Amino acid sequence: MRFPPSRLVRLTAMLMALSLFAAACGDDEEDDPVAAEDTETEESSDSGASEDPSGSGATGGELSGEINVSGSSTVQPISVRVAELFEEVEPDVVVNVDGPGTGDGFELFCNGETDISDASRPIDEEEVAACEESGIEFIELKVAFDGISVLTNPANDAVTCLTFEDLYALVGPEAEGVENWSDAQALATELGSTTELPDAPLEIVGPGEESGTYDSFIEIVFGDIAEAQLEAGAITEDQEETTRPDYQSSPDDNTIIQGIEGSDTSLGWVGFAFAEEAGEGVKELEVDGGEGCVAPTAETIADGSYPISRPLFIYVSTTAMEENPAVAAYVEYYLGEGISAVE
Amino acid sequence: MALANPAVTADAVRARLERGQLDIAGAVFKALISLAILLSLLVIGVLLYDVVHDGWSVLADRPVDFLSGTLRSQAGEAGVFQGLRGTFWIGVFTVVLAFPIGIGAAVYLEEYAPDTRFTRFIAINIRNLAGVPSVVYGILGFAIFVKTLALFPEWLPFLGGRTFTGGRTTMAAGITLAVLVLPLVIITASEAVRAVPDSIREAGFGVGATRWEVVRSHVLPYAAPGIITGTILSLARALGEAAPLILVGAVTGRLGQSGGLLDPAQLHERFTAMPIIITDWSGQPGAFQTENAPAAILVLLVVVLFANTAAILLRNRYEKKR
Repeated sequence: MRFPPSRLVRLTAMLMALSLFAAACGDDEEDDPVAAEDTETEESSDSGASEDPSGSGATGGELSGEINVSGSSTVQPISVRVAELFEEVEPDVVVNVDGPGTGDGFELFCNGETDISDASRPIDEEEVAACEESGIEFIELKVAFDGISVLTNPANDAVTCLTFEDLYALVGPEAEGVENWSDAQALATELGSTTELPDAPLEIVGPGEESGTYDSFIEIVFGDIAEAQLEAGAITEDQEETTRPDYQSSPDDNTIIQGIEGSDTSLGWVGFAFAEEAGEGVKELEVDGGEGCVAPTAETIADGSYPISRPLFIYVSTTAMEENPAVAAYVEYYLGEGISAVE
Repeated sequence: MALANPAVTADAVRARLERGQLDIAGAVFKALISLAILLSLLVIGVLLYDVVHDGWSVLADRPVDFLSGTLRSQAGEAGVFQGLRGTFWIGVFTVVLAFPIGIGAAVYLEEYAPDTRFTRFIAINIRNLAGVPSVVYGILGFAIFVKTLALFPEWLPFLGGRTFTGGRTTMAAGITLAVLVLPLVIITASEAVRAVPDSIREAGFGVGATRWEVVRSHVLPYAAPGIITGTILSLARALGEAAPLILVGAVTGRLGQSGGLLDPAQLHERFTAMPIIITDWSGQPGAFQTENAPAAILVLLVVVLFANTAAILLRNRYEKKR
């Protein structure tokens, strides 16, 4: 791994330039834990500054540098698509996108290792504290809405629309042991639903506790009902943010789809994108969140009328934006042309 | 003499021993072991059929595009080149680091080290290390090769201010997987060296050869086929591991940099690898899961088969020499 002399000279020159730069920056430098990132970001900011630091986006083809994006696997495809489109405008900017999960993403982000963090939920207090501790300041941007589809088998004609109450009675913590749709009727009616549940075996397939889709489903669908039931003493505090424990869970959305296809009177929930791709094998149910039955479509999710939808975010490090004009240009593109071109 | 026609003699002896009775236990045993091999072949056959069935359309429709394409958001445009590149370099690191160090350690343990409680303790621990789950090596790789070695940028001046591994890079991944297969290499090489008959060593010592000469021109050539078999297994394992790479920081969504296969600059760049691509695509909706992932599996299978074939040819050459 020996570099040719010319390269070595160039690198040494660059190093000297960097040390001068660092000296000029003075005590702004204290909080960057990863030395490797250091060199790279400064290299890019250097080259950016020598051209035109304010010419972001519109001019095009002027910027270079590296942008690291990590976080939610749900947002990953959007960020990748935007990066692909952005590449056509700024071909010299290298954008890496990764999707280990929202929580892992924030860990990297607050460590200063990434410039942008994709998230399928808002940042929580602990993560904010971690960011503050390492001096990372950020802005939160809402980039899209993601729906969760409630599914059954196409053979299940008796069901077309379910209310939040029905879903609570079928899947909620009080539903433990319910093996037939009609067994949940009493509880659903008591909670105020007028849906008639069929007399058919109930087979539930859904994501497990480790999934963001699980958390969102519980929060959006069960939230208010579970709180009321807790006050009424029907469930314990431990049960408030859970489902029934006795259903078939899988971390893999494709496995859930297969489970729903495999049984005539199944019930389950997955992210909208997976349900759409599954096609004829599953039936997406309409959901009534108190304002009538709405079917999940790209439009109803985007305008918020489909009740089980959640916003998706990107978190942008303002430190990275200041140091690397490419980050600002990418974000600007993301919110402008990028997001409208994606869907 | 009686050995003039051994076939007839063997039959005659067996007929007398069996005294006309059927060898039922023998027949049952043979049926059972045939069943075992049939089952293994059946499992492989079903898996292969499934993968080829699902993945063939992609490889048939756009073979060059798929092999040379990068990670994309659209399944129809995505390709595995960046994964192949990462997997190639991981293989290089395994061959360059794990094989010499592993074989060296094995020869030392078997030929040079005194048989004390301490060396036996070391040998047992190497065996235990081979059984440690790969995720643990991922954590080790993350802690040492990604983090600790990134703390000393001035370590090696010729790296030009970069850290040794440069963080979550191809290099960190390669070293991590080399370390992962190291115990496997040591164990298989030890077994091969131990299987060399003592008479061969004694013959060498008898004509006045030094220990080094005996090892070099007798023990190693004799043990070479066994050692190479072990390295085949180790290499295949290194190429197929996904879990440690996730921890080291393989990229799943998009890898911006676009160096060629042999471009050494990317040792210090972020990376991805075939098993990572397969894992990620399997979890995505639509054609990524139903077509691209099986096609990527096929590609990885072919890569591993190529590596194995090369090693097997090499082994056959050594076997003939012996």
